Amino acid sequence: MSGIVVHLPEGNGTDAVTLRLGPGERARFGRGSVGTPVELRLGDETVSRLAGEIHATDDHWQLSNLSNTHAYLVENPEGAGEYLRVPPRRVGAPIPFEFSRVVLPSRRETPLSFQVFAPDHVYLDPHARGGSARSRTMTAYSLDETATYFLVLVALCEPWLRDRSPAAVPTTPQVVERLRGHPACSRLTARAVSSHLDYLADEKLRIDLPDDAGRADRRSGKREAVVGLALKFGIVREEHLALLPPSDPTGSGR
Amino acid sequence: MLYDLAHCGDREDMLPPGHRVGDWIVTEPIGEGGWATVYAAHRAEGSAGPDDTVALKVLPTAGLAPRQARQVAESARREAELARTAPHPRLVRLLDTLVLAAPDHPTLDGAIVLVMERARCTLRDLLTTGVDEAQGGRIVAGICEGLAHLHRSGWVHIDLKPENVLIGQDGEVRLSDFGLAIELTGTHGHSAPLGTPDYLPPERWQEPLGEHGVRTRTTADIWALGIVIHEVFTGGLPAFPGATPTARAAAVRQYAEGRAALRLDPSVPPFWRALAADCLAPTHAARAPHTAERLLARIHGHRSGRRPRRPRPRTTLLALAALAACAAAAVTAAALWPRPGPPAPHARIRVFNAERDCQDRTDRDPQCSLGLAVDPMRPYTAGNVVPTRVWHNDTLDADCQLPTGLPVINEDDLSSTLWYRVRLPGPTTAWLPAIRTKDRPTLDRCP
Repeated sequence: MSGIVVHLPEGNGTDAVTLRLGPGERARFGRGSVGTPVELRLGDETVSRLAGEIHATDDHWQLSNLSNTHAYLVENPEGAGEYLRVPPRRVGAPIPFEFSRVVLPSRRETPLSFQVFAPDHVYLDPHARGGSARSRTMTAYSLDETATYFLVLVALCEPWLRDRSPAAVPTTPQVVERLRGHPACSRLTARAVSSHLDYLADEKLRIDLPDDAGRADRRSGKREAVVGLALKFGIVREEHLALLPPSDPTGSGR
Repeated sequence: MLYDLAHCGDREDMLPPGHRVGDWIVTEPIGEGGWATVYAAHRAEGSAGPDDTVALKVLPTAGLAPRQARQVAESARREAELARTAPHPRLVRLLDTLVLAAPDHPTLDGAIVLVMERARCTLRDLLTTGVDEAQGGRIVAGICEGLAHLHRSGWVHIDLKPENVLIGQDGEVRLSDFGLAIELTGTHGHSAPLGTPDYLPPERWQEPLGEHGVRTRTTADIWALGIVIHEVFTGGLPAFPGATPTARAAAVRQYAEGRAALRLDPSVPPFWRALAADCLAPTHAARAPHTAERLLARIHGHRSGRRPRRPRPRTTLLALAALAACAAAAVTAAALWPRPGPPAPHARIRVFNAERDCQDRTDRDPQCSLGLAVDPMRPYTAGNVVPTRVWHNDTLDADCQLPTGLPVINEDDLSSTLWYRVRLPGPTTAWLPAIRTKDRPTLDRCP
């Protein structure tokens, strides 16, 4: 278990903040003050000094709403509108999403929000047979095959899976293009693909990369390492190609 | 057996009873793991060999993508290689490997079959009924012996858990399931990113995935051993709190980061609690001094301290009561050690007396004599021995072996159901328990 990652994008009156919480660890969020310290400072007058608390537990996390008046929303950005509402004074509401956006009411045009990632979610191996989940031997790195990051991974592995050729791993723009026909990816940006790749490499597979490479080398090295390991350990297999949209949706070309 | 197989009575991917695989006829399924199904099987009529019943581990490859089929084949290859290069009495014996030809069962055609000695049950089965301290100690010592051997031979098991610790027909431990085992290069090796969450050491959750897999060292097995020791003495209670494996893995992480103390169950006897705590040291470095070898030495030290040697009646040995949880399993054949070659018509075996005070004496003191049984199927007591006595280092002429006599346990807590029939002067024969000799000739089964 490596815990959860909380990310507050810059803009809400503060710099970007990234916190990593191990199981059992907590982080408070709110406007904060000298008397009420918070780990995640949200600079907005509508937010209480101590607005809530995040508690990493098991493979997920819990949200406590310490406001007396406002409900918070937790959205699943990949869930086609899926969200849950945490009412005022609710303590320890378990959050089931791997990706969450916590949205707090605000008078600003854009709502006040931060993200929480829970990469430890466990999935059974697809071909495992029987046996209780308790003592089952399983892959220590489990991926959600319905998540966008998995689509990105399959797109990256596609050339090798189709032709077995040591073809170059697709570039980020090629991945964007390849997934454009997929309903979940019609608005996928190159930047999002890069984030998914980082998430796969850093949080899901925890890939070991040499530190001496330059930044550009590092990015392409990471891409190749992710593909190499996904193929080597059978994380992406031939059957996953069916997840990709038809390879030539416009009908032009071949 | 406690496996729940009710749901798979008419599954297409199961071999039906009566199906022939090589020299073996499938009796029934006895277990299912991640990639394989295990069946009990007995020897087909007309084929000859030492074992009457075996376990068949069937790893289907049909319907798998080429890469996965390769992984299954690779895992089978590893098991076979380990069995070939590093056999040991505490490791399950691999008798043969086959490829299944089953045109009637397309999902099984081409499956890889590992033919293994048939165990009585798994440690998990045993734990559901609970074991007493003496029995638990013997089991942990057995696991340590197996691990010490594996580590000495340069292997790491990777997937040690009660499901993979079998209890052989002789009541002794057999480590099994080497599908994930890896060979070390230097101080560590690389394993596929697989494991059972409850048995993974805390560093594993941080360990990055490199080109060859996850860096793995022998201390990973020692951690798993600590979890298993705790389970042995608590009837299967996990060492870390939490209702689910993920909750327990989170508790492990909290402990390893120093945010929670190790709180082992107070019902674990103090010696074993201390041993488990050392196995569960939070880092690789802190665990490294506690090698399987040293743990084993501590266990032996503990035993000799707890029960000082005292004179015992030489003719009566303790008959090991059948392990309660295993009693349901039919008594079946299993020899103790790997066999080097085809059966010989007879062999000379040298008597071994485990009492050290008797080993140096040549005066044939009656106190140091050992009895030979009249009937190996009756308790080995004073009423069941022939008048002829034998002493340490005597040689006897054995003409056949019986793998399924009543179990006999010696002063060192070794137990065995194997007996040798020996010829005595005149036309008479008698029976020597195999634990009374260090020799392991390959002989025909006694009629």
